[in-house]
Amino acid sequence: MTVPLLSLIVVSLAVGTVGTFLAGKWARWVALGATVVFLLEVAVLFVAYPGWPGYDSALVPGFANGETYSWISVTWLHINYSVGVDGISLVLILLTAILQLATVVYSWEESKRPAAYFGLVQLTCLGCFGVFVALDVLLFFLFWEAVLVPMFFLVGYWGGPQRRYAALKFFIYTHVASIVMLVGLLAMAFYSGASSFDFSAIYASARGLSTVVQTFLFLALFFGFGVKFPIVPFHTWLPDAHVEAPTGGSVLLAGLLLKLGGYGLIRWAVETLPSGFHTLQPLLYLVAFVSIIWGSVLSLAQRDMKRLVAYSSINHMGIVLLGIALGTSLGLTAAVLLMFAHGVVSALLFMASGSVHHTFGTRDIPEVGGITPTTPTLSTLIMVGSLASLGLPALISFPAEFLALLATWNSLAYWVAIPLAILVVTAGFYIWMMQRMLFGPPKGIPAEAHDVPWYEGASMAMLVVLIVLFGILPGLLVNVILSSPIHGFPGT
Amino acid sequence: MVDLASFAGPFLPEILLLAGTLLVFLLDVVGVRRIEITGGVAVGAVALALFFVLADLGFAPIAFLATVPSGQVDQFVPGATPLYSFASLGFVFQAIFLLAALLVSLASISRPTGERGAPIFYGLLLLATLGMLLVAIASDLIFLLLSIELTSISTYLLVGYTRKDVRSLEAAMKFYIIGALSTTLSFFGASLLYGAYGTTNLLAIRAVAGAVGSPVIVLLGYAFLISGLSFKATLVPFHAWAVDVYDGAPSDVTAFLTGASKKVGLFAFYLVFLGPVLFVAPGAGGSPFSGGVLNLGPVVQLTLSVLAVVTMSVGNILALLQKEMKRMLAYSSISQAGYMLIGIAVGTSPAIAGATLQMFAHAFMKTGAFLVVAGVTALGVGPLIDDWKGLGTRRPLLGVAFGLMLLSLAGVPLTVGFVSKFVLFSAAVEAQGYFVWLAVAGLLNSALSVFYYARVLKVIFFDQPAPTALPSRAVVGGSGPPALPAGGLGYARATAIALVAVAIVVFGIYPQPVLSAIQSAAQHFVAVGA
Repeated sequence: MTVPLLSLIVVSLAVGTVGTFLAGKWARWVALGATVVFLLEVAVLFVAYPGWPGYDSALVPGFANGETYSWISVTWLHINYSVGVDGISLVLILLTAILQLATVVYSWEESKRPAAYFGLVQLTCLGCFGVFVALDVLLFFLFWEAVLVPMFFLVGYWGGPQRRYAALKFFIYTHVASIVMLVGLLAMAFYSGASSFDFSAIYASARGLSTVVQTFLFLALFFGFGVKFPIVPFHTWLPDAHVEAPTGGSVLLAGLLLKLGGYGLIRWAVETLPSGFHTLQPLLYLVAFVSIIWGSVLSLAQRDMKRLVAYSSINHMGIVLLGIALGTSLGLTAAVLLMFAHGVVSALLFMASGSVHHTFGTRDIPEVGGITPTTPTLSTLIMVGSLASLGLPALISFPAEFLALLATWNSLAYWVAIPLAILVVTAGFYIWMMQRMLFGPPKGIPAEAHDVPWYEGASMAMLVVLIVLFGILPGLLVNVILSSPIHGFPGT
Repeated sequence: MVDLASFAGPFLPEILLLAGTLLVFLLDVVGVRRIEITGGVAVGAVALALFFVLADLGFAPIAFLATVPSGQVDQFVPGATPLYSFASLGFVFQAIFLLAALLVSLASISRPTGERGAPIFYGLLLLATLGMLLVAIASDLIFLLLSIELTSISTYLLVGYTRKDVRSLEAAMKFYIIGALSTTLSFFGASLLYGAYGTTNLLAIRAVAGAVGSPVIVLLGYAFLISGLSFKATLVPFHAWAVDVYDGAPSDVTAFLTGASKKVGLFAFYLVFLGPVLFVAPGAGGSPFSGGVLNLGPVVQLTLSVLAVVTMSVGNILALLQKEMKRMLAYSSISQAGYMLIGIAVGTSPAIAGATLQMFAHAFMKTGAFLVVAGVTALGVGPLIDDWKGLGTRRPLLGVAFGLMLLSLAGVPLTVGFVSKFVLFSAAVEAQGYFVWLAVAGLLNSALSVFYYARVLKVIFFDQPAPTALPSRAVVGGSGPPALPAGGLGYARATAIALVAVAIVVFGIYPQPVLSAIQSAAQHFVAVGA
């Protein structure tokens, strides 16, 4: 007998969410309990995964923990509740659980309607989890949209001064993108003549579509997923949403929501529409390079620490897109690993900038300086985050970016100079930020400034541990990613 | 000898409503005018009728109580020209009408003051619902138009029943004049069709429609009929009255108008066009004229498609520009009629099922939304959207319920509005041809509609309440009429709103039972045509 583990997790997350909403002043404890349960379940998922800890060729291609139940069934529509995991989704599920814990702990003293806040945080994570396990087009879309609503409220109610504008912009941008994506997904399901909306059925039939049709479908899907990435020029919602979002919201936005775009692109476009993918490869390269350059150069110009991290996210997600666009096994592995790395590192940096804001009353980099003597812990955390983000060896981004550059060299040869050169710029703006904020003569430090409270420090320290652990042992994740069916698919 | 039971049995829901109407008026005459009593009678009659209609639809635990013998459902006797016939799709629509009527009559028990006119309100409401039930079983043009007339006349009076409010009176007058025009057009169209076909029976017309002797008269007849019915269904460009009437009428009445009466016009489209016109056409999608025989299907389909696209686009764009809540919802209601028309234009059994599901969803969402508007207006909130600032923080439960309705109208997943739009658009895609573009137009319009729904969400949840806006719980009833229980809404209204909110989520997550019933009804409808 097999345990329906994935449905169990969905149910436990839903119960946790509802429980948190109703828990009143006990909300944070309920949220913490639900999150710990979530982490344990994910641990079981990992242990039970046949592709872990080593590459298991017997698994390729296929999904573990599969479940299928009929959901909507009429003559012309067969929609199932189908879930399952492979290595790629497993790594991102781990990221979801980690970031949920980090967000709940970081926001421990949230005083503005805590029940609703913690409930919405869990709802966002539930949606992300669903996206990563859904193997049915409509179920996937449903979870995809389910992420949107709680995030809209997190930004719009708990955010900064311009939160309403930012929330509306976020909602409209991503919803319009979702609609285009939905058109693409439905067209893929209908035109391929798939027998149901299941991934396996669509995978079996969509590859038979003509190159022209595949190209159009891929374009629609790429736009839908690309806005979430975000790719230049559809990125402008991101800095606004990030800057206005509460810290927890920023963590989930950067850590999880951006990953949805990358995951969706791999799962529902690259795997299912190989000819369309190969036709549009030059466009993907172009967009990836532009995003890498644009994100990095704009980061240089930022004064607001949060905005700086937000723009550097565009740069990092550009490298993710580059890895996916290569279409090689190595490139995809690098992309997924980098998604995980960026999820953890950007979460750390957003938390750190949130703490900077609490402590010094501003996130303006030129306004504060020499904070290390006053707040040594915070200063250390910022330093680790920045060094990890710029790709220092032994920290998690290094193996990911190294693999990405290697994969680029293998496929594109000297084009690798572009991301390589931009790495220098990335290192530049992070080191410049550290130099201005952490070191030098003290400036703009209020008298009552004190180091970060325990809950903020603990959540960030947890991320630091992971950054170092997976930086030294990236193989733990790489093996899982390599066991994904996509590596056995023809054409990738 | 006429067996009374076997004659009356199939009409049990209609008889229940008629009895309810008479009882309400009788109680009025003998001086029993308490709203709890008249309202209770109405709710009871509607709920019982709904129960039997659901039994007729064959829902498992109560199917043995079906009033119509199963041998009479979805049966078509060749050569027969009955005035009425029982189709499972008709039962589905009866259920939709009764659902909307049930929600409105339940919520209206909590009318804000002890104002007069409750018996008139409930009597007319039941009478209008009765007319709708008759529309749903009509299989003759004259019977159909007369049933619509029964509904219309009752609703003209409903709009103006308060008698004191100048705006309602103006709305009622406008409604009456436009309604008379629409009736005239419909009957003129019907008379032309009688001239061409020699019958007004829809089943008989279906049998001869493929071979029309005088195409000009037929085309003219259908053109007049489309115009007449378009007024009822609030299709652009026949929509201008709707916004003023929806705006001017008491909000509970508006809830009934948009939740139920609008669908009377749309169901009439089903009967008049789907049976006789679209399916008879040999080689649908071909040229209008083939071998000297008029092929009406493609002409009507194209007309309805254009009407659908124009209706949803204009409705959405104008909704975007509105500053008042009721007018915004009214325009959004118009655009929803455009979505439903997609299904009628496509005309396949999946599309009919999709359009019907959309109407089912709309009955919940829009009725619920106007019931909220009525309740919030009674709390002293002004007509502007901006007056609703802070509703979400001052009244979280009401805010969440209203938010769910708006999200459902916008078609956000996990709501019934998403499922219905999904089924409808996928059916249009499934039909291939230019109908795919109808689905695309529908999707683009859904995307557009998100703008104005999200704006309302922003106002009620994020904006700081103005000092004069919604009084907090403690202040309600400080002056003026005494406060109602359940946060000023009254228990009955709060129950109705909660029912809608729960239904939106439940049917959004598990639509299969409703979908199965509607799908099999649509298949029978395509097979039988009435």
